[in-house]
Amino acid sequence: MLRQLWTMTASDIRLRIRDKSVPIFGLLVPFALIFVMNLVFGDTGDTDLDAVTVAAAQQDSGELGAVVVDAVTEVPGIDLTVTDVPASEIRPLVEAGDAQLGITVPADFTENVTGGQGAQLKLIQGESAAMEVGILTSVIEGVTGQFAAAAEATTAAAGLALPPDEAGRIAQQVIESEARVSAVEGRTATEQLGAGASIVAGQAGLFLLFTVGFGVLALLNERQQGTLARLQAMPMPPGLVVLSKALSSFILGVVATLVLLTAGSLLFGVSFGAPLTVLVLVLCVVAAGTSLMFIIARVARTPEQAGVMQSIFAIVLGVAGGAFFPITASGPAGMLLDLNPVAAFTRGLGISAGGGGLGDISQPVLIMLGFAVAALVVSRLVPDRGAAA
Amino acid sequence: MVTMTQHDTESPATGSDVLVVQDLVRNFGELRAVDGVSFRIAPGETYGVLGPNGAGKTTSISMIAGLLRPDSGSVHVAGQLMGPRQVGPKALLGLVPQELAIYPELSAAENLRFFGRLQGLGGAELRSRTDEVLDIIGLSDRAKSATKEFSGGMKRRLNIGIGLLHRPALLILDEPTVGVDPQSRNSILESVEALATEGMSVLYTTHYMEEAERLCDRIAIVDSGRIQAEGTRTELIRIVGELDEIRLDGSGDIAAAAGALERLPAVEHVLTEARTLRLTVREAPTAVAGIVNAAGQAGMELADVEISRPDLESVFLHLTGKALRD
Repeated sequence: MLRQLWTMTASDIRLRIRDKSVPIFGLLVPFALIFVMNLVFGDTGDTDLDAVTVAAAQQDSGELGAVVVDAVTEVPGIDLTVTDVPASEIRPLVEAGDAQLGITVPADFTENVTGGQGAQLKLIQGESAAMEVGILTSVIEGVTGQFAAAAEATTAAAGLALPPDEAGRIAQQVIESEARVSAVEGRTATEQLGAGASIVAGQAGLFLLFTVGFGVLALLNERQQGTLARLQAMPMPPGLVVLSKALSSFILGVVATLVLLTAGSLLFGVSFGAPLTVLVLVLCVVAAGTSLMFIIARVARTPEQAGVMQSIFAIVLGVAGGAFFPITASGPAGMLLDLNPVAAFTRGLGISAGGGGLGDISQPVLIMLGFAVAALVVSRLVPDRGAAA
Repeated sequence: MVTMTQHDTESPATGSDVLVVQDLVRNFGELRAVDGVSFRIAPGETYGVLGPNGAGKTTSISMIAGLLRPDSGSVHVAGQLMGPRQVGPKALLGLVPQELAIYPELSAAENLRFFGRLQGLGGAELRSRTDEVLDIIGLSDRAKSATKEFSGGMKRRLNIGIGLLHRPALLILDEPTVGVDPQSRNSILESVEALATEGMSVLYTTHYMEEAERLCDRIAIVDSGRIQAEGTRTELIRIVGELDEIRLDGSGDIAAAAGALERLPAVEHVLTEARTLRLTVREAPTAVAGIVNAAGQAGMELADVEISRPDLESVFLHLTGKALRD
């Protein structure tokens, strides 16, 4: 039985290679598309931040004024120059474009904050380097937020008739303390692939849905050219024919996807992480794609109908899985997107690329395998319209 | 049903017959495609199933080959019950489907080797059988050519060759000469005759009377899903007794002539085919004068009159009231 299974599987693979359908649609076309998309979109995810000059007028002799300027200088990733200037020169410098951000810390800043009276920083933003200035402004707003909390604490202490020294100490503690409640950067941040890797992974996921069709959907060709009847008359279990189609689809899908990922990695300088983790993800997504083809093989009456259905499924799942650009949604739509095997595959590769191992890809793996099982069940339930025709 | 055979299809399957078909029934919705078909094939026998398109031949073959499950009835191949999930009896059959069942991208030799492996052949045996079969079907010189480049007749011969490859106990040929040029058709018939001479059992379906008469030891005449009669050619022709066939070709009022002739006591059946009337008659030599007169009086202008002894087509006409190609 195994010999018969392999005879049919090997023959299918040989036919698909001989008629050039797999080399063209499984490798050449997706690779060309990856190449073009990398040329067009490849750099969008690797934005370099511009250098920024900050003109700072430090009039405060207390500690808090220095904290504000120090916080700006510690922002990573920005090539920053801080120039101490008199307050009167800040606006001309920013307007002339010699500085992109001006900060004026008033003389009584620390005293007012610790005294609970509130205080104001003066920021002047230039027209260039908007992104970098936005980042710096956000950092300053975070620091001043802490100061505002300190001012509130001081006011509350005064309301409780605490001595001024005690109220000032409380305000200082609020400023110096770490936030008790903070948002921790979670896994999603490390699941994101870079632009180049996203294109390679998405296109590999999209085109494997075409590649796996060459095996399973060959059932319809066999029916049309009459060979299916002859195969069913052979001395072997009837399910062996279908199993051989699944196996040839699976092998073609795994090989084509691995070749695409490997070639994409080498040529576009992207990494998807540990090979074993990537292999598991590829096996799972190919299993999901192959199972989907069985639904099409049952519903389609002719190979032409199957081709149209396959294209629709591939494009919808590929686009929803981020093959061309990232797609996000919340609520039920977001849940549907999450259940898409191509999206799960891309997310799994993101985890792997971020250093995740086999234990970290359990969720996308379960989604892909669940999709495979569900598609197989559905394929058994829908009527075999091709046989009826 | 008129049965002229000595076989008793009511008895259970035995190991002596290659094929025993008992009371096969298959419905497609409201249509009963096969209605209680029973027959047996002895070792070395060539058995023909003769009937027009839509008579139920291919549906019967599909059940016999284990492609289709019967609604009722049974098929035994060399004593083994056949069904879609049965592996053993399928190894004893060589099926040549009515539609071509070959891979156009593969060469003739590759097609043979592929199906040979599925039949369990391998190694030197597979190579030698491939060469032998290529020789039998006359494609040795085109063994390595892709079959999509073959003529219709060459494809038909390869289609048959695949069925022969594993030396089956029973070769099933379902209308193997449909759409084939006369030269290839003759080549196919010669191949089947050669196989029969070698002792292979053959089940041959056709709607060509001449093929059934030429090849088959026994013939079942089928129509509307049922076997109307079964026996050797001589036994079947005996059904129509002393009836002869008279063909009248001509012009004028053919329909009126057909109506007039049907009323003559010597005439059993009248079949109209364009400008020809085919009559099944008793005592043709004495009845022919009255027939010619009646046709002329009805308005038919005769161009030719031909009297012939009955053949299988006459039998079919006698049993069903219609021509084989209807």
